Amino acid sequence: MKSFETFHPLVIFAFFAAAIGLSMFFMHPAYLVITIFLAVSLNIALRRGQFFKDWKLYVPLFFLMAIINPLISHNGKLVLFYINYNAITVEAIVYGLSIATMIVSIILWFSCYNETITTDKFIYLFGKISPVFSLTLSISLRLVPRFQQQLHKISNAQKVIGMDYRSGSLLHRIKCTLRIISILITWALDNAIDTADSMKARGYGIGKRTSFSLFIFERRDGIVLLFIMFLLMVNIWASIIGTTTFYFYPTFSIIQWDLKNILFYCSYFLLLAIPIIIEIKGGIEWKLLKSKM
Amino acid sequence: MEIVKVENVSFTYPNESKPILKNINLTVEQGEFIILIGQSGCGKSTLLRHFKSELSPHGKKAGTFFYDGKRLDEVMPEKAASEIGYVFQNPDNQIVTDKVWHELAFGLESLGVDKHTMRRRVAEMANFFGIQKWFHQKTSELSGGQKQLLNLASIMVMQPKLLLLDEPTSQLDPIAAMEFIQTLNRLNKELGITIILVEHRLEEVLPIADRVLIMEKGDLLFDGDPREIINTLPPKHELITALPTATKMYHLLDGEGPVPLTIREGRKWLAKKKVDLHTGKQLPVASGISNTIVLEAKDVAFRYEKNATDIIQHLNLQVKKGEFLTIIGGNGTGKSTVLSLLAGLQKPYRGKILLHDKLLKTYRNKELYQKFITLLPQEPKTLFVQKTVKQELEDTAKYHNILDDKVEEMIMQFQLIHLLQRHPYDLSGGEQQKLALAKLLLIEPEILLLDEPTKGLDAYAKEELATILKKLQVNGLTIVMVTHDIEFSAQHSSRCALLFDGNIVSEADPRTFYSGNNFYTTAAHRIARGIMNEVIVCDDLVILCKKD
Repeated sequence: MKSFETFHPLVIFAFFAAAIGLSMFFMHPAYLVITIFLAVSLNIALRRGQFFKDWKLYVPLFFLMAIINPLISHNGKLVLFYINYNAITVEAIVYGLSIATMIVSIILWFSCYNETITTDKFIYLFGKISPVFSLTLSISLRLVPRFQQQLHKISNAQKVIGMDYRSGSLLHRIKCTLRIISILITWALDNAIDTADSMKARGYGIGKRTSFSLFIFERRDGIVLLFIMFLLMVNIWASIIGTTTFYFYPTFSIIQWDLKNILFYCSYFLLLAIPIIIEIKGGIEWKLLKSKM
Repeated sequence: MEIVKVENVSFTYPNESKPILKNINLTVEQGEFIILIGQSGCGKSTLLRHFKSELSPHGKKAGTFFYDGKRLDEVMPEKAASEIGYVFQNPDNQIVTDKVWHELAFGLESLGVDKHTMRRRVAEMANFFGIQKWFHQKTSELSGGQKQLLNLASIMVMQPKLLLLDEPTSQLDPIAAMEFIQTLNRLNKELGITIILVEHRLEEVLPIADRVLIMEKGDLLFDGDPREIINTLPPKHELITALPTATKMYHLLDGEGPVPLTIREGRKWLAKKKVDLHTGKQLPVASGISNTIVLEAKDVAFRYEKNATDIIQHLNLQVKKGEFLTIIGGNGTGKSTVLSLLAGLQKPYRGKILLHDKLLKTYRNKELYQKFITLLPQEPKTLFVQKTVKQELEDTAKYHNILDDKVEEMIMQFQLIHLLQRHPYDLSGGEQQKLALAKLLLIEPEILLLDEPTKGLDAYAKEELATILKKLQVNGLTIVMVTHDIEFSAQHSSRCALLFDGNIVSEADPRTFYSGNNFYTTAAHRIARGIMNEVIVCDDLVILCKKD
């Protein structure tokens, strides 16, 4: 997965906003199947091995929710059996499974989001709102690794003069930890003076800030963005006219398979499949390019 | 055309009785490369900061600064910010953002430059400085030398006309420092940028400077050509020890004619001098040290993570009682790691470390650090927790139940008496080091390990440190020091070892060691090589050449 990441952050962000936003509201089984299928596919494409590690986490979560719902909710017509005079119904089980599908697919979309929207892109997107906000973020991201390194240095130095926070009585450990933190804070404040000077020396605070970035909005970004917007509108329209509505209680409503509904399902599929389509297209183009050389 | 003019400037810090700048007069021509030198506390940084109005310190000021024909305080802030650049000492503290490319653009963002221009200027500077390879990297992943180059580049994007640099190479290793100085030289020669540089690596910078300013106690002691310094300074002046070896040699041998600055000039001069080589004099050889081994590493290997490569491998090292061992080596050869292995802060995954023939890891921490080993970290600040120097020492004394007499003794020995009420952070680098040493030695360890103690010290502070260490050695302390500083190692240690690729490749007494190396050796040896092969420091030349 390298193609989709190279698109402009705005396009990537728009895609995930649309995907996550729609997935959160559509409880229709056809829509749920589409979203979980594409979220899993994109996850595998993006994160490969990492996804299969996380998989162990999603499965129990999935079944836990499917079990809990019928225990709490006793609505529905199709009764399977009774526990303590409470009905366990098919509708409640299916509803539980549907909610679980929705939540897992949203988690999966978010993990794809984390993978593609790196801090750079995040800072860039929110720098549009305020340059100061993006600068603050960037400064914080710089400080975290610095503090970690320094903490390590301080605790080693203190260990040599007998102030080891990992040994001795609890009181001693607390004392040593506080000492290390105190040294870190003094050090940080002392250095902050230099950093402030360095900012001032480079004209910080003189006039209105602009915000630099390495991202360029190309023609293809515009096309994909328009496409996303169009499909988003189509799906919102579908939701307004009720295509996406589905009732679990008192019993299931019927899933429509006429042309109009199939077209709407397709538009949803197409919207969520954009990154994967881009990926496959990129892969094919690359192979063609290679074979011609 | 003059770019900067200083007229009768005096300056006093608040709550100080004496002025730190006394009636300074100075003009700087466009395109000049000026070196500003002086001992710490002489006012050189204060003067430098005055050129940059955003950074000028608070206090009582008299006189005027002119920039580009205008009073400095009347120059537009945009012009001042972009045309006068300032590089600070610590490479880390100046970096503001998390990514290299963002750091480069920071100044331009502040000035409100449009994106298109930014893109061009950033690209231009990344090219000039060779930053392309690490353009997308995080700033926290860069080496010290790269960080300082980035700081310089992120000022250069603003297209300054005057560059002010306050000891920019003091935290860098010699190779990175050389690269930085050469970049400055390029900026000066290729782009005609005026540079005022405060520096104490005179060996490298004096040959490329147009003009040198020497400050002493707030006065401008000297203003002129680098070759004239030695004949202008009063004899036995403290700054003489800081001058390039070739110049020092010329001075010590009462030279005549043009003053040599570089190794090449020094060799030429020495060859011409026709020294009498048959005086029959012998150079002193390090006297025999006891053969008792106190600390020993046997086939030690170490890596930070399971799948990482070995940083230390096949390390064999013996530390003998009462010796002063220096371990030298380039950047990233694992010098600091060796030290933390010897100090027991890291554990080898293979091999043994023995302290008094007993495995180091079998000692309990309390016993180990109270009786045997102490380590002076690279940043002495990591040891300080109290508000004053006095409290700092008392704190350690109290924790280890040390008598007040001992504290008094340390204060006398390290000459800290005039600093007792100061905050540890307000001390100069050399003074901080002395305080840290005093604190560590209160515990009376047997072995002192030092991690690059000469980093950031000027020549005078180095001499002071050497005197202290030698005195400690005479009193029976075993000293192990890792350093980049070849000159210091050659002059003061009793044994040297070269660390390369994670193990010790050669070790010997300093004379054998440095006269055996061709490149990795002292300036004095490089000058005298082929003429007097056993010379490793300037003083050797004097012993061999002077009649009496």
